Amino acid sequence: MSGSSNVGMHIDHNVQEDPEKLAEFEAKIDAGQLIEPDDWLPQAYRTGMLKMAEHHANSEIIGALPEGEWITRAPSLRRKLALTAKVQDEVGHGQMLYRVSQDLGKTRDQMLRDLITGVTKYHNVFNYPAPTWGDIAMIQWLIDGAAIMNQKSLADGAYGPYVRTMKRINMEEAFHFKCGEDMVLTLMSGTAQQRVLGQDAFDRWWYPSLMFFGPPDKPNCRNLPPMRWRMKTVTNDDLRQRFINRFVPAAKDLGLNIHVVKKSDDGMVIEKQLDPNLHYDESTENWTVTDPDWEEFYRVIRGGGPCNKQRLSLRRFSYEQGRWVRSAIMNGRAGLPPAA
Amino acid sequence: MDNLPENLKQPMIDLLLAVADDKLMLGHRNSDWTGLGPILEEDIAFSSLAQDEIAHAQVIYELLSPLVDKTADELAYGRSIDQYRCAQIVELPDGFDWAVAIARQFFCDHFDRLRLRALSHSSYKPLADVASRLAAEEQVHVDHVDAWIVRLGKGNTDSKQRLQTALDQLSPIAPMLFEPVDHEAELITAGLYPQAETDMFHAWRDVLQHVAHEGGLALELSPPNAGAQGGRRGHHSEHLKSLLDEMCEVYRLEPGVAW
Repeated sequence: MSGSSNVGMHIDHNVQEDPEKLAEFEAKIDAGQLIEPDDWLPQAYRTGMLKMAEHHANSEIIGALPEGEWITRAPSLRRKLALTAKVQDEVGHGQMLYRVSQDLGKTRDQMLRDLITGVTKYHNVFNYPAPTWGDIAMIQWLIDGAAIMNQKSLADGAYGPYVRTMKRINMEEAFHFKCGEDMVLTLMSGTAQQRVLGQDAFDRWWYPSLMFFGPPDKPNCRNLPPMRWRMKTVTNDDLRQRFINRFVPAAKDLGLNIHVVKKSDDGMVIEKQLDPNLHYDESTENWTVTDPDWEEFYRVIRGGGPCNKQRLSLRRFSYEQGRWVRSAIMNGRAGLPPAA
Repeated sequence: MDNLPENLKQPMIDLLLAVADDKLMLGHRNSDWTGLGPILEEDIAFSSLAQDEIAHAQVIYELLSPLVDKTADELAYGRSIDQYRCAQIVELPDGFDWAVAIARQFFCDHFDRLRLRALSHSSYKPLADVASRLAAEEQVHVDHVDAWIVRLGKGNTDSKQRLQTALDQLSPIAPMLFEPVDHEAELITAGLYPQAETDMFHAWRDVLQHVAHEGGLALELSPPNAGAQGGRRGHHSEHLKSLLDEMCEVYRLEPGVAW
């Protein structure tokens, strides 16, 4: 369900690439052709694509955790089956994206170890809590909705294996989104208690959804390698505006109010008021809402979010619990225990 | 036959509950591994097995629905603990120990395959139709779990020992899968639950031992004591209560509403 919008990309511009090969490579990208793993790649492109695909893969398997916790509590057989299948899909996306990353030169075990030791990151949005069934509905509606928008733009990228993976993932995400929409609709057309559950969860997830697309654009973002080489095709702010234009009217139709919220350290809403900046601009045909708290965004990325520790420790638990299995069936080729 | 004789209705309800409840609880336990499996590929495969079990339970509850005038969800979520008919082996938590999860699956899948095969010859046609479809899917589970038993058994000293420990832990309670529901003998006599010529317990024990031995593992299994009362008569472990409390947490907020 994830995306890679806020993956930091530090590219070493001092590497001297063969100018002829580089020109050929860039011409190929400009002509809209796909780049394949056995093509000549600038080192910075290989590093950048690996980082992006690995971050995306990490996000898929960490993203499986908040929803996975609710499989055992899903309130009907149909929802239980759908949620299990949905979380399974996310693990499948992780598996596909680790394969893409493996082809770019890093072993899977190294990636899994880097994830649990904090060397690499995963998407920030999964550091927020999902305390009720309402959160599961909102995650599948808002976050999967945001992921589809992001991943559709990534499917227009230039790296063949990643593009093909995005297309496959987007088909599955469309199911998740439909499922989320159905859950939200069921809650919001249900009993008073169910509507409160829905609204409260919406309040918790609205700002993380807006932050999903990453920090505000840098002025020159279109000329930097991620966009010049079509690793990304749409800027963070443009994607965010598309999301707002799609979800503000949808939320209103469902009877959800858009609130500006203040949260406690554990991610629970302690104060809220109707968004005073919510309005539709006829001239630009855009909805405007109050901006997210970007300080919070950076604090969560640095590890200060409500669930950073919980998510990583569960992932680490799973890695450690499974180590003996991997070493038994992979003839001892499973990795060493991670450093503390 | 398409309709059940009145005197066999209750025993048939108990039998179908035993089938569905076993599957629901096993599927529930296994679904908890989704996202946490030891290898990504197996995480995905094991989740499919979990989904099969839950979907099988749903099909059987739907078969029961007109007999008891309750929906499948009411049957799954809305009974008191003594009304469940699952065996105690599916109630046990596995503590996220893959060896325990695989051993439990091994005992249960083989039993389920034999039970479904028998039921696919039931004279109660709606059940026979469903059972033959489910038996085919169960075969896939059996193949999958057998491969794990052999691979872990032959893997290395550590994996062999862990799996042996798990088999030893579960083998004393696993035979209670065979505990009959009340009046089961009458269902057998009436052809509703036909038995093959080889006694089902011995068929189960033989195939389990064969696979275990292939993996270099030891496995002793004795038939349940004739008088033993377990899950099939509503006597459950304390684990079922905590399982149900978790499973029904949201459902119980407002039973009967759509979620």
